[in-house]
Amino acid sequence: MKKPSTLFYHIFIFVIAQVTWFSLLGLWIYWYVTNYLLLLKVEDKLTPQFISGTTNIIALISGLILLILLSLSMSVIFIYLNRQLNVTKLYDNFISNVTHELKSPLSSIQLHLETIKKREVPDEKKQEFLSLMLKDIDRLNRLINSILYLSSLEQSKLSKKVSHDYHIYDADNILREIIEESLQEFNFPLDHVKIEGSLSGQCVIDRNWLKIVFNNLIDNAIKYSAQLPQLKVELTPGKRYFQINFSDNGIGISARDQKKIFNKFHRVYNPESPTVKGTGLGLYWVKEIVKYHGGKIEVHSAGKNLGTTFKISLPVYKESKKRYIKRLLRITHKYQKHAEMIHEP
Amino acid sequence: MNHKDRLLLVEDEDSLAAGLEFNLTAEGYEVIWVRDGKKALEEFTSSHFDLIILDLMLPYISGFTVAEKIRAVYPQIPILILTARTTLKDRLKGFELGADDYLTKPFHLEELLMRVKGMLKRKRWYQKSVENMPVFRLGKSEINFENLTIRSDQNIFHLTAIEASLLKYLIDNCGKVVSRRELLENVWHTSSDLETRTIDNFIMRLRRYLEVNPDQPVFIKSVRGIGYLLTEK
Repeated sequence: MKKPSTLFYHIFIFVIAQVTWFSLLGLWIYWYVTNYLLLLKVEDKLTPQFISGTTNIIALISGLILLILLSLSMSVIFIYLNRQLNVTKLYDNFISNVTHELKSPLSSIQLHLETIKKREVPDEKKQEFLSLMLKDIDRLNRLINSILYLSSLEQSKLSKKVSHDYHIYDADNILREIIEESLQEFNFPLDHVKIEGSLSGQCVIDRNWLKIVFNNLIDNAIKYSAQLPQLKVELTPGKRYFQINFSDNGIGISARDQKKIFNKFHRVYNPESPTVKGTGLGLYWVKEIVKYHGGKIEVHSAGKNLGTTFKISLPVYKESKKRYIKRLLRITHKYQKHAEMIHEP
Repeated sequence: MNHKDRLLLVEDEDSLAAGLEFNLTAEGYEVIWVRDGKKALEEFTSSHFDLIILDLMLPYISGFTVAEKIRAVYPQIPILILTARTTLKDRLKGFELGADDYLTKPFHLEELLMRVKGMLKRKRWYQKSVENMPVFRLGKSEINFENLTIRSDQNIFHLTAIEASLLKYLIDNCGKVVSRRELLENVWHTSSDLETRTIDNFIMRLRRYLEVNPDQPVFIKSVRGIGYLLTEK
C-alpha cells in the first residue's frame, strides 16, 4: 500500500518543480518585456550608449537555455529515480523469493533427518528420503551459485576476475554435448526431446557458462508446463551466426511479459502458472551469458498454452565479432596463467 | 478412537510433502496430499476432513485464498498454515483469513506433530463445549458458536475460527481476569513469538461486534497491565 503513494509524491514533487521553473521563466520574460517596452518609450530621451539591448538579449537567451537544460536534467533524474524505484520493488520480491527458495529445501532436509532420527524407517523409504535430500542439496547449491555468479559477473565485465574458459570448439559437437549433459542433469526423458538439424563451423564458448544457459531453459520449460513438456531443439547453420531454437509446448508467455522476462528479478505472476518457484534471475542470467558470448537471445510465444521458443544466435568463429572473440580467448589465456600462478607457489 | 482423523496436506514441494505424508501417516492419521490450490478446493468440497495443513505459495490459487474459501464454507475446520513466509504481516493476514495456527519453515517435526495434535484436540473440545452451549447471549448480541456468527439488532457478523476460540475462552472464564500470556498459550497455542499487540487487535474486533460503544466497553474490559475480563451484564 505504501509504494504507490511514494510514487505519487515523486510525481507530485516533480510536477511542482517543473511548474516552478516555468513560472520563473514566465516572470523573467514578463519582466524583460516590460522593461524593454519602458526602455523603448524613454529611448529617445537617452543617449544611445545607455541602451545595451544586445547584451540583454544574450542574457535572456542564455538564461533560457540554462533553465531548459536544468529542467531536462531534472526529468532525466526523475526517470532514473523511477526506474530505480521499480528495481527496488522487484528486489523486495526477489528477497522474498530467495527466502522461499532457500527455506523450502532446507526445511525438507531437516524434516527427513528428523524423521530418520525419530522413527524406524524401512530401508526402501530411507533410500527415498536420502535421494530427496540430495536433490534438495542440489537445488540449494544451484541457487547459491547463481547468486554468487551473478554478483561476480556484474562486478567485473570482461575481466580476469570471472572464470574464463573460452575455447574454440566444433559448433555442432559441443552444443549437442552441452544440451545432452543439461538434459541428463534434470533426468529429462530423452523420448520427450527432439534435436533437429546440425551446425557447421567452429565457435568460441565457455562450456560451463553455456551449460547454465541450457540448464535454465530446461528448468523453465519444466516449471512452466502443466505436464512434462515436449522439447524441440533446432540447430541452424549460418554464415556469420548460427542459430539454436529451443522450444517447449508449455503454457507460453503473453506478449506483455515477453518484453520483460529477461529483466533482472522479473517474474511472471500468472495465476494459471503451474509453479511458484523461482527467483527472477534465470533468464536475466541466460541473456547476460549469451551476450557475453557475443550472441543474442529472443523469445517468441504465440500466446497462452501455445508453447515458447527461445532463439539464440551465436557468432561463428572467424566470421563475425572477430575482435571481441579474440579478446575472450586472450582473457582466458591470461586467466589461466593467473590461476596457474596461484596454484604453483 | 476407531476413526482416523483425515488431514488434507496442501504442499507443492514434493520432497517436503513426501516426508510429511510419511510422518503423519505414521502418527495414525489418514493423509490426502494435493499439490496446488485448485486441487485443494476440489478435494475439500468432495470429501470430509478434520484438519488442513496449508502452504501459502501455491500454484493456481494462493494459500490465503484457499483458507478464505474453505472458511466461508466450513468455519470450524482447523487450518494450519505451513510456510516460508515469516513476516508479521503475513502471519496477521493468515490469522485474519481464519488460520488457526501458523508454522514457519524450516520447522521441527516434533513441533508440527504437537501442533496438529493440539489443534485436533482443541477442535474436539470446541465441538463438545459448543454442543453443551451452542448459543450464548451477551447483552443484545446472540453469539452462535456453531456457525460462528454474532447477531445483534440488525447486524450479523461472521467470526473467524480464532476470534471464536478467543471469545469462547473469555466466556468460559467469565468473571475472571485472563492474562495475555494465558490467551497466547491457550488460544493461539504459541508461547511468545506473536506480539501481544495481536491479541489487542483481536479484542478490538470482538468489541466492535459486541459493544454498543467499542471505546467504552461494557462486556470485554481491559485490566491494565494484566489482560482482559469478560463480564455478563
